[in-house]
Amino acid sequence: MIRLKGLSKHYGNIKAVNRLNLSVSPGEIFGFIGPNGAGKTTTIRMMGGLLAPTEGSVIIGGVDMARRPEKAKKKIGLIPDQPFLYEKLTGMEFLQFTADLYGIKQDAFAEKAGKFLNMFSLFGRAHELIESYSHGMKQRLAISAALLHDPPVVIVDEPMVGLDPRGMKMVKDLFRTLAAQGTTIFMSTHTLKLAEDVCDRIGIINKGLLVATGTLTDLKHAADMGEVDLEQVFFQLTEEESAS
Amino acid sequence: MRQVVSLLRPRLWSFKNRGHAKKGGIRFFVFGGIGLFFWTGIFAVSYRVLVYFQRVEDIGDILAYKLLSMVLLTFFSLLIFSSILTALSKLYLSRDLSLVHSLPVPREKIFLAKWIESTLDSSWMVIVYTIPVFISYAIVYESGLFFYANIALALFPLCIIASALSALVVLAAVVILPASRIRSIFVFLGFAVFIILYVAFRLLRPERLVNPEACSSVLVYLRSLSAPASPLLPSTWAFDSLKAALSGDVRNSLFHAALSWSGAVFLAFVAVWAAKAVYFRGFSKTQAALARPFQTQSKGLNIFFSFLPGPARAVAIKEIKTFWRDQTQWSQIFLVGALIVIYIYNFSVLPLEKSPIQTAYLQNLLSFLNMALAAFVLTAVTARFAFPAVSIEGNSFWIVRSGPISIRAFLWIKLFIYLVPLLILSEILIVATNLLLHVTPLMMYLSVITVFLLTPGVVAMGIGLGAAYPDFTSENPAQSVTSFGGLMFMILSATYIGTVTILEAGPVYTVFMAGIRGHGLSYLQWAWVVGSFSVAFLLSILAIVLPMRFGRKRLLVSLI
Repeated sequence: MIRLKGLSKHYGNIKAVNRLNLSVSPGEIFGFIGPNGAGKTTTIRMMGGLLAPTEGSVIIGGVDMARRPEKAKKKIGLIPDQPFLYEKLTGMEFLQFTADLYGIKQDAFAEKAGKFLNMFSLFGRAHELIESYSHGMKQRLAISAALLHDPPVVIVDEPMVGLDPRGMKMVKDLFRTLAAQGTTIFMSTHTLKLAEDVCDRIGIINKGLLVATGTLTDLKHAADMGEVDLEQVFFQLTEEESAS
Repeated sequence: MRQVVSLLRPRLWSFKNRGHAKKGGIRFFVFGGIGLFFWTGIFAVSYRVLVYFQRVEDIGDILAYKLLSMVLLTFFSLLIFSSILTALSKLYLSRDLSLVHSLPVPREKIFLAKWIESTLDSSWMVIVYTIPVFISYAIVYESGLFFYANIALALFPLCIIASALSALVVLAAVVILPASRIRSIFVFLGFAVFIILYVAFRLLRPERLVNPEACSSVLVYLRSLSAPASPLLPSTWAFDSLKAALSGDVRNSLFHAALSWSGAVFLAFVAVWAAKAVYFRGFSKTQAALARPFQTQSKGLNIFFSFLPGPARAVAIKEIKTFWRDQTQWSQIFLVGALIVIYIYNFSVLPLEKSPIQTAYLQNLLSFLNMALAAFVLTAVTARFAFPAVSIEGNSFWIVRSGPISIRAFLWIKLFIYLVPLLILSEILIVATNLLLHVTPLMMYLSVITVFLLTPGVVAMGIGLGAAYPDFTSENPAQSVTSFGGLMFMILSATYIGTVTILEAGPVYTVFMAGIRGHGLSYLQWAWVVGSFSVAFLLSILAIVLPMRFGRKRLLVSLI
């Protein structure tokens, strides 16, 4: 469902992402972890069509992002870490705006908007201006907008930022449900526990290079470690890479 | 087109939602009242000038048409300038771009929506404030309803052409220059603005309008007045259409309007076509702008500010570094530079020797007025740079609040950081113009000292009122000057400059006339001179202390 082929992004001499090759299957939850500045957000921005790669390609559901960006974007629900929302719109108006651009029919919109607003406990405040929302509410609204068109691929950058424990549980359950229904989820996170709990496979990126990828067991083998948690594997692999 | 409309909808909804907000009613009326005042003023002046031209036999119409041509050329230049800055901001720097580019919408449609928004934003004010000029033409020439319809028919394509040309310039600039050096774009834009202003100014050749002697004969003078502007200029198409409409020639008017519209549609098409090819490349490059635009030496700054205590030094160095690294300041600096050059240039071409008034008297009178004008220029520059100095802290203001530095010290550091360059600028301005005017040494000393006293007051008002009415959430803090606080600053600063000028005017006139007549001053006159200057001095001290205190108090209250 997602294929990254030799994906690179250079900022002058800095190689933010360096020849990234990766495939994520339908229904899979892929965790993308790495230290600060490793290239996670740059990768996500290229996958979302916000940034042109220096080299390589992003293929979403068989569609090349560079060649047919609109078609590829239709298959994606993108949730950035700090989503931009029009502060002077109400929550409902923002969802309507998103629905219009994804070509969602009016009757289907009403049903879906109601469903997500209820699910994320926003229904009662749907007609208030977004500027009056808390950070967590804004994050929940951004997630609702991203899922409104039933995307086969969800790309999410730091999904738990600003969410309370109830919100976090809700998102975890939602991702599991979506994946069970065949949605592919590509998730960048610093929360290693979340990656360990939810992800089927995990990729570790450091200094723009994908240093390891696989299930938690695969990563433990790669790090040559026994019964340890993801945190220890992460430190082992990223420190090895930094030292080399 | 449906997607373009959808992309524009948040703007419409936001506008509607703002309208529903109850607060801001008084501000609306204050701003509306001031806007209406200026609108009426422009109408009154244009009407008066046109009525005067009508009374001038033979060449009255020629003068009126020349004025119309100049108004349209100025209108077009202003639109180009305003459109370049708005297009750059809308197309590449807006905060919502990361959202709209992630949506399944073709890039040329994103461009089209943003370009339409940019066209509206950059044009509406220019249109609103030029309409009274056209209405006065309609009244003076007793033209029919067609002329009123023709105003819209001629002005809209001019706005579209200016906006499309600006968008093409911006699209090319962002692609040609590496985005990692986006500062260069602003430097480029600054030069573009300067060239546009200079070319427009030279094309107008205003000195010839009022100086028939510059031409060898009346015939040459008339010819220079009635000479048509370049047919390649879009403002000429609008002029031809409006001129024909004024004389009731509907067919000719429609022809020129159609010419204008075809140019507008063609350029809009070219802009969308260019955007399809290069817009995303430029947008992607803009996000990758990593390079530090300006190297400032921390060591040098540390030594320079070594006399300050630690926290104050930290704030001062941060202020200088962030100012130079903020690329949005560059275009403004170039614009200010261009305006100052034009301001000084105007003094160099003043035909003083042709005046019937005694030259020495006129030179000193102009020098005196020049003091006030220079202070008004200072007010404009302060409004742009010093007034937003507190708002520019934005979301980072918590660092200052939580740091071991008082708000008072923070504001005074801001004051000194902006005072030094603005004082140098004002003194250069006043000395250069006075040298061009060949004023007497007395006027030179007086101007230099007065500006030296006025500048701290004006800058303190900017900083103080900027602190009293901060906007930490604005996308562009420089725009905070258009807020209520900005308006207060402008009014107070103008009142302060006016009061000091009036306080000095009487005594200076008395001293000057006594010098010309060879009399000494009486005791009463001496008392008046000393009293007036003392009040002006006292006022200058109060202009520093009171706004700073007011700003600190209001800022502290707003932070609770």
